[in-house]
Formats: sequence, structure tokens, C-alpha cells
Amino acid sequence: MRYVAQRLLQFVLVFVVVTFMVLAATRIGSIDPARDLAGGAVTEAQIEQVKAAYPYLDDPLVVQYGYWLKDFVTGEWGRSYVQSQSVVDMFQQRMPSTAFLAFWAIVLGLLIAVPVGVYSAYRRDRAFDRVTSIGSFGAISTPPLVIAVLLLFFIVSRYEFFPSVGRSLYVAPWDSPVEHFKNFFVPALSLGIGLGAVWSRLLRADMILALQSDSVIMARAKGISPRRVLWVHALRTSILSLMTSVALQMSALFGGAVVAETFFGPRGIGDRLIFAIQQNDLLVIQAITAILTIAVVLANVAVDLLYAVVDPRIRMARSLG
Amino acid sequence: MTDAAATAATIAPVIVNEVPRRRRPPLGMAFGILWLVTIILLTVLADFLPFVRGATQAPRGASNYAFGPGVDFWFGSDRLGRDVFARCVYGARISLIIAVTSIAIGLVVGTALGMLTGYFRGWIDRVVSIFVDSLLAFPAIILAALVVGRAGALRESDIQVLGLGFTWLSNAWAITAVFAVLSVAPITRIVRAQTLSLSQREYVLAARSLGARTPRILVREILPNVVPVLVSVLFTGVAILLAAEAGLAFLGYSVEPPQASWGLMVTENREFIDEAWWATLFPCLMLFLTVLSFNLIGDRVARKFDIREAAL
Repeated sequence: MRYVAQRLLQFVLVFVVVTFMVLAATRIGSIDPARDLAGGAVTEAQIEQVKAAYPYLDDPLVVQYGYWLKDFVTGEWGRSYVQSQSVVDMFQQRMPSTAFLAFWAIVLGLLIAVPVGVYSAYRRDRAFDRVTSIGSFGAISTPPLVIAVLLLFFIVSRYEFFPSVGRSLYVAPWDSPVEHFKNFFVPALSLGIGLGAVWSRLLRADMILALQSDSVIMARAKGISPRRVLWVHALRTSILSLMTSVALQMSALFGGAVVAETFFGPRGIGDRLIFAIQQNDLLVIQAITAILTIAVVLANVAVDLLYAVVDPRIRMARSLG
Repeated sequence: MTDAAATAATIAPVIVNEVPRRRRPPLGMAFGILWLVTIILLTVLADFLPFVRGATQAPRGASNYAFGPGVDFWFGSDRLGRDVFARCVYGARISLIIAVTSIAIGLVVGTALGMLTGYFRGWIDRVVSIFVDSLLAFPAIILAALVVGRAGALRESDIQVLGLGFTWLSNAWAITAVFAVLSVAPITRIVRAQTLSLSQREYVLAARSLGARTPRILVREILPNVVPVLVSVLFTGVAILLAAEAGLAFLGYSVEPPQASWGLMVTENREFIDEAWWATLFPCLMLFLTVLSFNLIGDRVARKFDIREAAL
């Protein structure tokens, strides 16, 4: 319990530091935050209106942060005057797209990583392992932007099937699975390739150790079929590190999603964030970054707590320490 | 989560029946060094080499991607008729300077912070750890875009600090500064972990019982053992930052247009990829080969000194 409390305190501190950094960053080079919030070239009357709604914008940063935090916690996420839309509505409109993109990216990453990682560990140093090792090293060394360009050149512009670049739209899978696939496959693949490469290397290294452990030798000695030993006994111990990596990659995944959304479309929350940064739409930037931080940190805390569920030895160590 | 990973690592039975592996010739490393030397020579000598045109020089009749890759234009010409090869070379200069400078700053600050927090623990460790966790919990590219965008606004505003304006603050400087700050976080974490384990070693205890002062222990006993890690981090870090610069350029936060960086070239030309693949794919190729080279060298160094990349 004490451990959980410590983790939660750390989570709150990280959240405060990140959101404060973002708030401070949006005020760099800005003489009049109220004008930025109102949308730049606007009349005095509109600025007065913004000032009436947010009277704290002239206060010191810490005070501004206090007001913002209070509003954020109570669910008053503010309003984008540039888009004349409330921030909560914006989330409802844009969030599903980004969530699906991230989800499919993780799924594709795992679909690549698990077979490749497991099989190359099983047949270590054979042809398959050699080829996939070189391949995954190459994929890790390919910047996300280059992967996106290659997908554009070799897939999107060759096949009419996929919507042309930047034209992908958000279609919910329950409305039309085919359209959903068309719109999400390429952007998700552009993220999934990198994830798959990282995870397959990780899984391979882990599985090589697992295959040499006593429990696997024991299982084999008991006459359990090699396939079952490989996919059940050995893979289970490697799930821990894979889980950690999934959580660790969350923030990189969102960073990649921003690029993928701007490049291919479905225009989700990342695309909206970039637009907000261009406009210096204060409240939108702060709300989106706050939500992203919560998502990333929660994923890490969740994995951390899952450790204890999966591995009783860690549970013991923690209750002792 | 690092603590948990550490506990998991100490508890998990690690039995390695290391099969003696055949020594493979370091082909990757050789390729990496060769490519980097070529690139660095090209960028340093670009102004003097007869076959490299100016970055903004546009020969008559070459605009609208008139030339494909060939004898006159090795990598073809771009929409404004500029030589793609020349721009790749000058782009390398900017991309590499940004990446290497920020990693250098990050290494100095990160090593200092990591060694201090790892050796002294206590409250300073807690405070620094919170900041490191915060920087790592947030997509770096978004923070970078935000700060570089605001730096642009700062440059155009007439805000003065101590009587000085910010007209000097070009995007290249802003990117370098942000990347430096962002690279401090992982480096601090890596060095801290290394220092933690090193400070428990016998020779540190021996030095202390011989009456060595703390600064001496840090500099003479611990620092030399951190250096191999730093070399590996240097190469991997440059690779990561080169990729990050490309992503940032795509989002519209790179060097100002007449200048060239690889990411900017990809961004400028990708809409015309069907008509003129060369203007987009050659910068991509340069970017890939350079990142690959840095990774190959970093990987080799890490393997040589048996460094776990867990913290990265």
C-alpha cells in the first residue's frame, strides 16, 4: 500500500511539473496572453470578453497555474476562441481517432514483434534470425518521417485503395469496417513498424535467456511439446519486459502519432495540437498536453502495479521493502 | 517503474550458458565510420569543392524538377531549380551541427547531474528525478515544437531582457537549446544508474578509506568508468536527435527556408513525390544512412563495453 501511495505521489508531482512547464512555454514571447487566447487579430471588444472570462491572465505564472489547475480538475477545460469550440467538445470529436491510431499501431507492432522475436530466439543465429536482426536494426535506424515517406511512395501513391496523403478521415469501425481499415492502416503501419522493430529485438534477447532458464528445461524434461514450451512457458516470462516497453513507448508513440496524423490524416488530437501550437491557443495546448501526460503516466503506473500481479516475487520484495 | 525493473532484474534467475560465438568482422562499424567520414569531409569542405553547388544557387532552366538524377545534377534538381545534392550536403551541415552540439551540452550537464544524484542520493536525487521523469513522460517532439514556435514569436516580438532583444534567436539556436535540455533527462538517468552501482564497488571504498575527498572520488574513480557509457550514448543520441530534427522539420519547426536541413527538404518536396521522387528520397536516404551509421557505431561500442541499454 505504501508503495502504491508513493507511486501516486510521484505521478501527481510529474503531472504538476509537466503542465507547469507547458504553461510557462506558451507564455514565452507573448506580451498579451489574452490576445493569443482570443485568436490574434481580433477587436478590442473580443479581447475584453476573453479578459472577463479569464481575469487571471495578467497574474504571475504560478497564480495563473493555480487558476488553471483548479479549472482543469473541476472539468472546466475552457474554450478555443480560434475554433469557437469548447475544449471538451474538441476532445469528444478528435480523441477517438487518435485512440484508434495508437491502438492499431500497438496491435501491428505486436503482430510483427511476437512471431519474429519468438522464432528468432528459438532458432538463434540461423538464417531467419540473421535476416530479421539486420532488418529490425535497419527499421530502428529509419526515422519515422522516412518510414512515412517510404509508405507514401511505395503504397499510398501506387494503390487507389488507400485515400491519398492527408485525406484520411475518421471512420468508426462499427460504421464501416472496410473504410476504417482504409483510413487507418497506413498511418498505423508507419508507427507500428518502428514499435515492432524495437519490441522484436527486446523479445528476442529476453526469450534467449528464458529458453535457458531452469523452468523451461524442466518443462521440456517433463515432455511438454516444444511448441507449448516455447509459446506458453518461455513467452510468459518475457511478457513482463514487453509490457514495460509498451508503457515506456507510450510517450514516443504519441509523438509519432502527431507526425503520422499530420502526414496521412485521420486528423485527431495530435493534428489539433499542432494547429493550437501554431495559433498559441493556450487552453487547448494545456488541456491536450495535460491529458497526454495523464495517459502516459497512468500507463506506466499501471504496468508497475501489474508487475506485482504477474510476478509474486516482486510482490514479496515490495512488501518487505 | 525503473525501481521495479531493477528489482525484477535482480530477482530473475539469470543463467547464461554463453555459447562462444564466432567473431564476425566489424563490417557495420567499418561502414559507419566510412560514411560518417565522407559526410563530415563533404560538409566541412563544401564551400571549396568544385562539384558542390551553392545551397541556394539555381541554374537557369533547372526549376520545376527539370533534371532527374544524372551527370549534371547528381541527385536531380528541386522545384526552385536548386541542386538536391548540394542541398543534401549543406543540410547535413545544419542537421549535424544541431544534433552534435545539443548532445555535447546534454552530455556535460547530464553527466554532472547523474553523478551527483547517483553518488549523494538524498533530496537532490529526489528533486532531479522528478524533473527527469517529467521530461521523459512527455512526447519530446511536442515540447520541442511548442518551444521552437514560441522562440519564433519571441524573435519577432520586441521583448527585451536586460536591454537585449531576441533578434539573434534563430530557429537553429532554439532547436539546439531544446534538444540539449531534452537530452539531459535520459543521460542523467543512465549516468545515475551507473554511478549508483559504481559507488558500491570496492575500489571506491578503498579510495575513501585512504582519505580521498569526494571530488577526487567522483573524478578519478567514478568518471572514468562512466565514460564508455557516454561514448555509446553520444552516438545513439546523435542518431535519435537527427531523426527528431526531421520530425520537427515536418511539423514546420526547422531552420528558416532558404537554408536546408534534411527534414526540411523532405517536407518541402514530398507533395511532388510522384513527379520527382529524387528530391524527397535522396534526403531520406542520407538521413537513413547517417542515422544507421551512428547507431551501428553506438551499438558496437555498447556491445564492447557490455552496456545495457535499458535506460534508453
